[in-house]
Amino acid sequence: MRRFAILVVLVAVAPLVLRYPELETQILTFGLLAVAFNLLLGEMGFLSFGQATFNGVGAYIAARALLDAHAPLPIALLGALLAGGAAAALVGALAITGRGVYGVMLTFAFNEMAYFIAFQWRSVTGGDDGLRGIPRPDVFGISLDDATRYYYFTALVVLLAFAAVLRIVDSPFGAVLRAIRENEGRARAIGFRVRRFKIAAFALSGALSGLAGGLYAELFHFVPLQAIDLDTSTNIVIAALLGGIGSPYGALLGAAIFTVLSNSLSHVWAHWPLIFGLVFCAVVLFFRTGLWGITERWSRRAAHA
Amino acid sequence: MSGLIEVQLLNGIVQGMIYALLAAGLTLIFGMLDIPNFAHGAFYALGAYVAFTVVSLTGNFWLAIVIVPLVVAGLGLVVDAFAMRRLARTGHVYQILFTLGLVLIVQESIVLIWGANPTSINVPAGLDGGVPLGVVTFPYYRLFLVAAAALVIVAVWFALERTRYGAIIRAGIDDPEMVDCIGINVQRLFTIVFGIGVGLAALAGALILPIRGGQPAMGNELMATSFAVVVIGGLGSYLGAVVGGLFIGLTQAVMTMLYPAASEVAIFAAMALIILIRPQGLFGKR
Repeated sequence: MRRFAILVVLVAVAPLVLRYPELETQILTFGLLAVAFNLLLGEMGFLSFGQATFNGVGAYIAARALLDAHAPLPIALLGALLAGGAAAALVGALAITGRGVYGVMLTFAFNEMAYFIAFQWRSVTGGDDGLRGIPRPDVFGISLDDATRYYYFTALVVLLAFAAVLRIVDSPFGAVLRAIRENEGRARAIGFRVRRFKIAAFALSGALSGLAGGLYAELFHFVPLQAIDLDTSTNIVIAALLGGIGSPYGALLGAAIFTVLSNSLSHVWAHWPLIFGLVFCAVVLFFRTGLWGITERWSRRAAHA
Repeated sequence: MSGLIEVQLLNGIVQGMIYALLAAGLTLIFGMLDIPNFAHGAFYALGAYVAFTVVSLTGNFWLAIVIVPLVVAGLGLVVDAFAMRRLARTGHVYQILFTLGLVLIVQESIVLIWGANPTSINVPAGLDGGVPLGVVTFPYYRLFLVAAAALVIVAVWFALERTRYGAIIRAGIDDPEMVDCIGINVQRLFTIVFGIGVGLAALAGALILPIRGGQPAMGNELMATSFAVVVIGGLGSYLGAVVGGLFIGLTQAVMTMLYPAASEVAIFAAMALIILIRPQGLFGKR
C-alpha cells in the first residue's frame, strides 16, 4: 500500500520536475506493456515474445474507432482493451500447446504474422506509413488537447490498471499462476484447470497491452507500424527483465529506465545499445531479480542495520 | 522468359544452402545441446564482417573462409564456457534472454567497428564469370557456394556419425552422467559442439558476403528463419535441418515470384503449423 502511494505521488509530480509530458506519457504506456508482459513471465513463467501483437491490435482498434466512428475516448479505449484481450486469448490458446521453447517460438511466429497483416492491410492500418491524424476527443467535457492534461489522463488509466494488476497478483488467481510456474504437473494434479488459467492470464496480459496501445494512439495522433513489430516485443522483454520480473513494480521501473535512456542516451552516444546489451547480459547472468530485486535487497539490509 | 525461372530456382538453392548451413549449426546447439541460441544470426553477421576484414587485409577470400569459422567458433567457446554453462541450470528462459542480449552487443559492436553502412567485396578472382542460361547467366561463385556448403555439411555429418569423436558426442548427449563416469569431460565436449555450431553460422556469413555484402542487422531475419528451419525439419535431426533449409530456400524463391510480400511470413506460418500439428517436425523421430 505504501509503495503504491509513493508511486502515485511520483507519477503526480513527474511533469513538474521533468518538463517532457510526452516522454512521461510514453513511460506510462510502455510501463503498462512491461507490467502486462511480467504477468506472464514473472507470475506464470511463460516467456511471451509477441507482446507487441496485442499492443498493435489495441492501437489500431482505438484509432479506427476514433477515426471512423468518432467514438468517445473511453469507448475507444474499452475497445482496445477487449480487442487486445481477445487477440491474446487466441494466441495464448495456441501458444501454450507448444512445450518449452516451442511456446516462445509460437508467440514469435504469430507476432510476425500480425505484423505482416498490418503491413499489407493498408486501408485499415496505413501499412508502413502508419496511421495519421487520430483525434483526441474531450472526455466528459474536459479537453485533453494539452500534453500535460493527456499525461494526467493516461496516468489515471495506467494507475487504475496497475492497481488492478497488484490486486490480481495477490488474489487466489495469482497464486494459481505461481503454482503453474513452480510446478505445472502438481498444479494440474491438485485439480486446477491449468489450460484455462493460462489462457485467462494471456487474455489479461493482452487486454492491458491493448489498453496501452490504445492510449499510445492518441499521444502523437499516430500509430506507426512499429507498434506491432518484433523489435517492440523485444524491447518489452528487455525492459521488464532489466527492472526485475519478481514484481510489477520492477517491470514499471525497467520500462521507465529503458524509455528515458533510449531517448536521452541516443543523443549522447550513438552506440548506447552496446552498453545496454552488456548490462542486460550481466543482469541475466548475475542479478536475475533485476534492479527492483537489488533495491529491495538493499532496503532490507538497511532495515536490519 | 527463358532462363529466368531456372535462375530464380537456382538462387533458391543458393539461399537454401545458406539456411542449411545455419540450421545445421543450430541443430547442434539447440537440437542436441538444448540451448536456444537466439544469437545464431548475430554470429552469422559476425562471420560476414570478419571475412570482410580478412579480405581487406590479405585480399585472399579463400583464407577468409578458413579463418572466419575458426575465429567465430573461438568466440563461441568463450560464450559457452562463461555464460551458457552457468545458465544451463536456470532453464531455457534465461538462455534465450542472455543470447538476446548478445545480439544487442554483437550488432552494436559491428556498427562501432565497421560502421553502419553496408559493406561488400568482389567475387573472388577466378569465379567471376557465369554459366550461360538462356538470356541470363548464373554466376560461378554461386555454384561454388552450393558445393562448398554441401561439402562442409557432409563433413560435419560424417564427423558426427562415423568417427570416434562423433560417437562420444552422441553418447554424451544421450547420457551425460555415464560418459562423465567413463572419464570424459562432457562439458568440454559440449563447449566444442557449441563452437562448431557457431562456426557453421559464421561460415554461412562469410560465404554470402560476396553475393549480398554485409549489414549490421543481417542476422536478425536469418535467426528467426533458421529457428523455423530447425523446427520444421525436426529438432535435433541433422538431415531435417539440411532438407528443411533447402526446402525453405526454394519455397521462398517460388513465393518471391508469385507473391513477394508473403515470402517471409509463409515460413513462420509453416513453423507454427508444424509445432501445432507435428511437433517432432518432418524428420523428427519422437
